[in-house]
Amino acid sequence: MSLHPQYARPRSAAQAVALLDGLGAGAMVIAGGQELMPHVNYGRLMPAVYVDIGGLPELRGIAEADGAVAIGALTVHRDVQSSELVRAKLPLLAWAAGQVGGGWQVHNRGTIGGNLVSMHPLYDIVPPLLALGAEVEILSTAGTRRVALSGLIAETSHGLGTTTLLTRVLVRPTSPSTGWSYQKLKITEGSYGSANAAAVVALDGNRVTAARLVMGAVAERPIDASAALKGLLGRPFDARAAAEAEAACAALVVQPMDDQQGDAGWRRAMAGVVARRALAQAVARAGGAAG
Amino acid sequence: MSANLEELVEDSVLLQCRVNGKACEREIQPGTSLLDFLRDELRLTGTHMGCMTGHCGACTVMLDGQVAKSCITLAATVQRRQITTIEGLKGADGKLSPVQQAFWDEAGFQCAFCAPGMLLAATELLRDNPDPSEDDIRRAIAGNLCRCTGYQSIVRAVKAAARVQRSAG
Repeated sequence: MSLHPQYARPRSAAQAVALLDGLGAGAMVIAGGQELMPHVNYGRLMPAVYVDIGGLPELRGIAEADGAVAIGALTVHRDVQSSELVRAKLPLLAWAAGQVGGGWQVHNRGTIGGNLVSMHPLYDIVPPLLALGAEVEILSTAGTRRVALSGLIAETSHGLGTTTLLTRVLVRPTSPSTGWSYQKLKITEGSYGSANAAAVVALDGNRVTAARLVMGAVAERPIDASAALKGLLGRPFDARAAAEAEAACAALVVQPMDDQQGDAGWRRAMAGVVARRALAQAVARAGGAAG
Repeated sequence: MSANLEELVEDSVLLQCRVNGKACEREIQPGTSLLDFLRDELRLTGTHMGCMTGHCGACTVMLDGQVAKSCITLAATVQRRQITTIEGLKGADGKLSPVQQAFWDEAGFQCAFCAPGMLLAATELLRDNPDPSEDDIRRAIAGNLCRCTGYQSIVRAVKAAARVQRSAG
């Protein structure tokens, strides 16, 4: 904690984690600053040392690696939206990156790594990445480890002020025959969601063979509803299936958020609505009749 | 921590950048936001301080031609970048840019607190998209709040600026 913070610009990711390790809890990583700076402006966080990773080339770029699309942690939302590779292989993620709140200003500066480590319940990148089964690479002085994003969310040692660095996001491409959707219920174009849902659906003829669905912005943590949607499998996504899915998803929101985006009861109800809409659009995109 | 790591940690930052086309070099406190740097150090007060959370967009500037919110940008992270503020939008001849002129002609502001951000967001839009739809315009200004106009005259002004820019071709 300091009223007179210091600044360091490491020259490599390895140097960055060595610095974080040596400096202790007062050091905080900054890249785009879109998550950290509002906290600093309001005195909620007071970094003793800003560790600026913005210039590290090994955290940049989008490429195919080991059958996955690897997205560097410093990739800004604008580049995720416009990347030909992401648009072709992970259309759900490209679309969701365009739904990030705060307008182009935030899309131009906010990074995928910052979005993930902030673990903000209202942010837009985690639900689609969970629906896609994404993994992340974490660097520390002990080396690199690769973990499922779903596992990282369950930990408490993520995020700002730790001694680790999120370096890459790895996502296996979705098959072109699967359908996808990201639904965000929001008050204005640039605002946070009141309820979000990301869906990936596969069909055989008009029967659903696989369905993944993750809801965001309705509880402190994203809710993976995939297991609760087993009843959708092996049958067409008709009006009855849609109503069942809506009810099943809403029922999973046991402790809904209650904030400026809407009160708790409404949030739970809207979770079901966005889930139903996301499934219906994903089914339609997979070539089935819309529910 | 090793001595060479300790050497990386600085008490102040020598910020070198270009602001509205002019080279700028200042020693700054590491915690300085880009907003405070522009307003307090350079006295470029056209960049407005609004919410300090990144919601309102009044503090918008351009970094290498792309809009950014200066209140949530740490000044030390814009090393060697090109910064454009509202003061840098007018032409070398001192005339208003087509976007500024259109906002003037179409009453694209009332109190004008949001105007610097709106003008820069519209400028980025029209550079890449000379004929934007109303949806395109509303998406481009989604990061900027206006509490006076209801956005109608702003959208009208951006459309008018696009027409002028296209006819000037």
